[in-house]
Amino acid sequence: MFIVKYIKDVFGGLKSLLIGMRRTGYYFTHHKEIITEQYPDNRDTLVLADRFKGEVVMPHDENNEHRCTGCTACELACPNATLKVVTKFDITPEGKKKKAIDKLVYHLELCTMCNLCIVACPSDAIVMAQTFEHSVFNRADLTKILNNPGSKIMDGVE
Amino acid sequence: MLLTSAFLIPCSLFKLQKMWSLTDISSAIHNWLNQTFNPTWALIIEMVIAGIAVIGLFAVLGLVLVLMERRVAAWMQIRLGPNRVGPFGLMQSMADTLKLLVKEGMTPDGADKFLFNLAPFIAMMVAMLLMAPIAFAKGFQLWDMNIGVLYISAVSSIMVISILMAGWASNNKYSLMGAMRSGAQIVSYELSAGLSILTIVVLTGSLNITDIINAQADGWWVFKGHIPVIISFVIFIIAVTAETNRAPFDLAEAESELTAGFHTEYSGMKFALFFLAEYINVFIVCAIGATLFLGGWMPFHIGHWEAFNHAMDYIPSSVWFFGKTFFLIFVIMWFRWTFPRLRIDQLLNLEWKYLLPISMFNLLLATAVAILGWHF
Amino acid sequence: MSGSNIIFYLLAALTLVSALMAVTTRMIFRAAIYLLFSLIGIAGIYFWLQYEFIAAVQIVVYVGGIVVLIIFSIFLTQQAGEQLPKQKLGRQLFAALAAFCGLALVMLQLVQHDFVATANKAIEPTVANIGTQMLGVDEGGYSLPFEVVSMLLLAALIGCIVIALKSKPETT
Repeated sequence: MFIVKYIKDVFGGLKSLLIGMRRTGYYFTHHKEIITEQYPDNRDTLVLADRFKGEVVMPHDENNEHRCTGCTACELACPNATLKVVTKFDITPEGKKKKAIDKLVYHLELCTMCNLCIVACPSDAIVMAQTFEHSVFNRADLTKILNNPGSKIMDGVE
Repeated sequence: MLLTSAFLIPCSLFKLQKMWSLTDISSAIHNWLNQTFNPTWALIIEMVIAGIAVIGLFAVLGLVLVLMERRVAAWMQIRLGPNRVGPFGLMQSMADTLKLLVKEGMTPDGADKFLFNLAPFIAMMVAMLLMAPIAFAKGFQLWDMNIGVLYISAVSSIMVISILMAGWASNNKYSLMGAMRSGAQIVSYELSAGLSILTIVVLTGSLNITDIINAQADGWWVFKGHIPVIISFVIFIIAVTAETNRAPFDLAEAESELTAGFHTEYSGMKFALFFLAEYINVFIVCAIGATLFLGGWMPFHIGHWEAFNHAMDYIPSSVWFFGKTFFLIFVIMWFRWTFPRLRIDQLLNLEWKYLLPISMFNLLLATAVAILGWHF
Repeated sequence: MSGSNIIFYLLAALTLVSALMAVTTRMIFRAAIYLLFSLIGIAGIYFWLQYEFIAAVQIVVYVGGIVVLIIFSIFLTQQAGEQLPKQKLGRQLFAALAAFCGLALVMLQLVQHDFVATANKAIEPTVANIGTQMLGVDEGGYSLPFEVVSMLLLAALIGCIVIALKSKPETT
């Protein structure tokens, strides 16, 4: 019947409005739900989510050794040529030539933090760091060399 | 004379507790001025004082309400809101005002310059005129006129003119569309706002604001009048939200569709006047709502509980008035930050198919209640 | 001259000057706005006479209703900001003559009619009194004209509905 439907409409509408108002009213009264970070003030205590990806870094251990074999898998995986592997040949103690990296050049200004290089790396040599304060005065500063000077590959990583 | 008998009349009516009140101050000023000057000059000085007081109230209200809106909005959206300027961000609206003051007020080349510059002042003048019959505290009222409620609904209908004027004179398609929408909206929602006000007028039997408040000495209408008054209260709040062009009825501005609607072309102080007028209008409609439904400055009284009523009388009447008004303002802000904007056809459907028939039926119901004496 | 007189002359000047501007301006939207000011001036005169109810009704009906309607029809029909063409001299003269004749008629009535002070006590123009007079059926009541006017409004309402209901012709 028309009248019944009309009245149902009115009360249904009112009820749905009240449900919405209950939700915002809950947020209004529960300030611990606030998710705003007061960034420059809480720089020391800032906790970022695990999924946050800031830039690609190459971890080194205490002996200045990394795990990169120079296989260029990351370079091939990168969709916009952010990584560039420059290889060299080391002479092993047995007198054999062995391929190793000279430099792993990383263009932060091109990187979209897509994580494909990390996934592609067979020896887990590179990871995503959670840094985010990337601004510099000169664009050239955004081109980084990921391996430390004088570093060499860890033993046992092939 | 227009205001002779009207300015700052001490209302003598209800025997409330003898307590510190604004009436004493206003009548003291009135007597002193009349002893010192001749009546004409005393009247002119009183008008100037009233004008300055109203402008001061506007400035304070603008600052407070803008800050309040931003804070309420932030908390409802799980944010913090302004917290950088001054302690707890309290100086934020001061800083905004300063920014607007020093900005250049531009007039577009193709605009009708006279009307373009006139429109914000009309908006402000209407807001000032609406302040006249509002009772801020016991016996503290600029003009206690016979037709208080009718005056308010009459003068507030001029408000739409300033919006139409601004929209047309800007010579901008967004402004014109905003003005058209706003015109259709205000003209239609005025009806249900008027009808819901009439419910209270029927129950009280008077248009006078003082009479309406005094009729609520033994309980506010929203409690005494039960069903019809509660229905008309809900309709009133919805209709005035639409009349003041606030979300969810902000089609006149509709940032996502019309940039800023009728005030797209305005900048600097002229924009600030529109912005201020919006908040003043919100204050005024909430003050009217508080006066009609929640008893204005009348403390919370329950029937014949003498001790309880006496205890309530110790809270000053101005605190009651501003408390109720700000509660209603909060409710309207709550609406704004909860509901999505309506489309124009939904807006007109809501008014013509729901609010208007319901409020007409409700007026009949209220008349029956008033005649049969079914209210408390 | 007392303050009261000054206010009256100010209101009268507002009414007359804006009425004159309304008929002389060649921008149609401005004409509507000047008409608005003229009507507000008249409402001000009612306020000055302390007929607050009439003043409020003047604002509700003319300012809130009719002027808004006029502005709406301008919005829907006119190009923004365009000047109207200048009228022919003959038309201007004829319009001035018509206006003058109307004014002369009213003034003649005013001058010839001698206003007799009534001995009856004037009825306070409060809303309650106006209401009882409007619906009064005894002597001095206006019940019949009130009902006739309401019939007129009802007829207008029904007419609007009939026009709005008119279904579009089938296009098949």
